[in-house]
Amino acid sequence: MSSRRNFLRGAGAITAAASAAAVSRVAMAALPEPVLQTRPDTMPPLVPSTGRPYNPCVTLNGWTLPWRMNNGVKEFHLVAEPVVREMSADFKAHLWGYNGQSPGPTIEVVEGDRVRIFVTNKLGELTSIHWHGQRLPNGMDGVTGLNQPGIPPGKTFVYEFVARRPGTFMYHPHADEMVQMAMGMMGFWITHPKAKHPLIDEVDRDFVFLLNAYDIDPGSYTPKIMTMLDFNLWSWNSRIFPGIDPLVVRKNDKVRIRIGNLTMTNHPIHLHGHEFLVTGTDGGPTPKSTRQYEVTTDIAVGQMRQIDFLADEEGDWAFHCHKSHHTMNAMGHDVPTMIGVDHRGVARQITKLIPDYMVMGERGMKDMTEMEMPLPDNTAAMMAGRGPFGSVGMGGMFSVVKVRKDQKPGDYTDPGWYQHPPGTVAYEFGGALPEPARFKAEGPGSMPALKRPTTPTEVKVRKPAGGHSGH
Amino acid sequence: MTAGLAGCASFSPDGGFAPVEAAAKDRLGKDVRWARTAADGEMMAQRVAELLAQPALSPDDAVQLALFNNRGLQARFTELGITEAELVQAGRMANPGFTFGRLKSVDGVEIERGIHLSLARLIAMPLIYGAEARRFERVKREVTMDMLALAAETRRAWVQAVAANETLRYMQQVKEAADASAELARRMEQAGNFNKLTRAREQSFYADAALGLARADRAQRATRERLTRLLGLWGAQTQFRLPERLPDLPAQPKDQPDIERLAMSQRLDVQAARLAAEQTARNLGLTRTTRFINVLELGLARNKLEDGARQTGYDIALELPLFDWGGARVARAEAIYMQAVQLTAWAAIDARSEVREAYGNYRTAYDIALHQRDEVVPVRKRISEEQQLRYNGMIIGVFELLADARAQVAGVNGYINSLRDFWLAQAELDMALVGRASLSLPTGPVAGGMAGGGAAH
Ligand SMILES: [Cu+2]
Repeated sequence: MSSRRNFLRGAGAITAAASAAAVSRVAMAALPEPVLQTRPDTMPPLVPSTGRPYNPCVTLNGWTLPWRMNNGVKEFHLVAEPVVREMSADFKAHLWGYNGQSPGPTIEVVEGDRVRIFVTNKLGELTSIHWHGQRLPNGMDGVTGLNQPGIPPGKTFVYEFVARRPGTFMYHPHADEMVQMAMGMMGFWITHPKAKHPLIDEVDRDFVFLLNAYDIDPGSYTPKIMTMLDFNLWSWNSRIFPGIDPLVVRKNDKVRIRIGNLTMTNHPIHLHGHEFLVTGTDGGPTPKSTRQYEVTTDIAVGQMRQIDFLADEEGDWAFHCHKSHHTMNAMGHDVPTMIGVDHRGVARQITKLIPDYMVMGERGMKDMTEMEMPLPDNTAAMMAGRGPFGSVGMGGMFSVVKVRKDQKPGDYTDPGWYQHPPGTVAYEFGGALPEPARFKAEGPGSMPALKRPTTPTEVKVRKPAGGHSGH
Repeated sequence: MTAGLAGCASFSPDGGFAPVEAAAKDRLGKDVRWARTAADGEMMAQRVAELLAQPALSPDDAVQLALFNNRGLQARFTELGITEAELVQAGRMANPGFTFGRLKSVDGVEIERGIHLSLARLIAMPLIYGAEARRFERVKREVTMDMLALAAETRRAWVQAVAANETLRYMQQVKEAADASAELARRMEQAGNFNKLTRAREQSFYADAALGLARADRAQRATRERLTRLLGLWGAQTQFRLPERLPDLPAQPKDQPDIERLAMSQRLDVQAARLAAEQTARNLGLTRTTRFINVLELGLARNKLEDGARQTGYDIALELPLFDWGGARVARAEAIYMQAVQLTAWAAIDARSEVREAYGNYRTAYDIALHQRDEVVPVRKRISEEQQLRYNGMIIGVFELLADARAQVAGVNGYINSLRDFWLAQAELDMALVGRASLSLPTGPVAGGMAGGGAAH
């Protein structure tokens, strides 16, 4: 659901605030009206009604920016502004983004399109946009100070260039970059091929998302912009599992997923149940000779990857970053490991002082998924996602590819949990098993300490004949 | 002259105890007895037993108990008797003396017999009697003062003892938390999750907590024994019970804008100084009063300076007569009298300063206790609640939670201490209003109140 607001007719407050001295009414009238997005849901693909036709893509928990044609030029209007992004149902972040959301809307154009992008700065400081990966005139590359002056608050700048090569791109600020990216300013850009391309297959579904990461203290709202590597929220399009939508496909669809990495580390993205080919990189489509089937592709910082696969296995398939900490939501990085620690007596003693104290972590962290305990305000539960068989024990960069034979073409609505054919789910063994060592509350330790020898262990060989009787 | 003295030279019915009793009643609202007879003693023992039978000894009970049972105070009362006896003695004719002299010389033995009355004594009697009478008055005031001081001291000791009990309880809780973390750390090491260093760090909290508990234990014993001594208790009586908690902070602190005037009117040392000056004047035979001088503005009066606008909005006068000094022969008398006047001014100025200080201490102690109760403790509690939520989310571990519990306990204990300081300041203020108070110097401000909070990361 897009809400359109006209700069002229719309709330005078915006006009007054943004343009008192900056943008004249005449100048504003020349701008395409900015389109805002108020919801964080995955929006249906935007089928082009003007310009060259193309096969639109779907932005995971995002949307595509509408444009207007102006004498053959595609005009977009991006508004850089503070936004509140719902990262999951129980957690909202105060970010900076574009047109109401972070990340900003996906821009989809066709190879050869002349594109004019108006960028209005409604932040308190200079900004600019760099069109990551594009071939364009040097003065349009968006590096503040190098290619252009920064866009001052309240001003609108215009970028104009031809989308020369087809492929997967990103956009992000190149002014106070560390802060503005840590605050969530980024977006996706797709240039579709104008004709059939030997290296670009037509696909049935085309998903895009950005990898991003934030450091937001549990209970607070604003990312810590000085964090270098120790982020605590690993997100796809600023959503964290279970807040991320599934990637819904019809069985035997040819599926493309485009992923851009704007975090500070690499992410090995892993798909279950299928093999994929990396069909595109930052540089465009990959030569066929270089493609090999994989189930995980590592996406380095600043890179884009386009993967194609045939969704020929029905089911609910996990799809996630394989760095296991990236499938967690906010958690302590300094919490001592409690595995195997006997709490007999101590727990009761602690409860006397801290009535709400509950023993956690002797068995591992899975406890977290099984207890419903109050958390600080505005904090996403660490591993809250629930599946048909219980807790998924995941957060962060995790989603599900749902392959269904009866999903209608172009229908992206969640079909619910996969109904497994009888006999195709792992089942409990019926025979006798020795009782495994488990933690029992106030019971014996599940893992008694090993008596480690204080001197190096010697291998003792019993000699067939000798005076040394082993001791 | 002898006849005139004869009337005075007998024991008073109250033995000089009436002003002491009156002071106890007016200033403290308490009874005080001087155990002079077996009946007195029995009555007092019974009252003591009744007070001790209470479920918990209130500060007023403690003061009453001390007034009945403190042997030092009773010993002071006997001084009244001794002094009065000396006064009466001074007012009586000395017994006639008999002398018998036997002198042996070369001429033989000369025996001299004589009966005499001490003429000198007779002549000096009014002077000696006067001096003794003044001494008796002084002793009465001193004994009254000692009685009031004992009451104040008892009140302070009660506050200290109750606070020390509370602190001991809190230190036991801290120790329990430290015990738990030390034990958990031991098991963490045993399970292979902690190295020796990390375990030792947790162990050191335990060691500190044990030390704190030992100190609290010592303070508890010392303060209780001090109270026991002031109450004059021994044997089975030492099992007396105290309330669990200090009285709550009053809703409002006392507002006393006229506290200096109050002190002028009731401070025994100021009254004594003024009486001394008046006595001096009488002794010197100074009678022709020309005007009165306000001793507090003595310097100004003599320098004929105008006082500036007063800002306090009330006036305190403490006046003494000024005499018309005659010729040079009275120079000595003038000097002696003016010395007494200066001493009165000194006592008055000191008294004013002391009550101001005592009242300031009282108000500050109130504000501090209020702040501890309404700001520090709730903030600590909120921190603990938030930490619990973080523990729930595995954002912090159990050791941080325990460290925070210790900090919260310390916060509550901080309030106990500030409440104790408030009640001590109140007792000091009460004392400063009647006599010289032993005002405790404030300890310096403590830097970084938030000690021991869970390490944030
Ligand atoms: Cu990752």
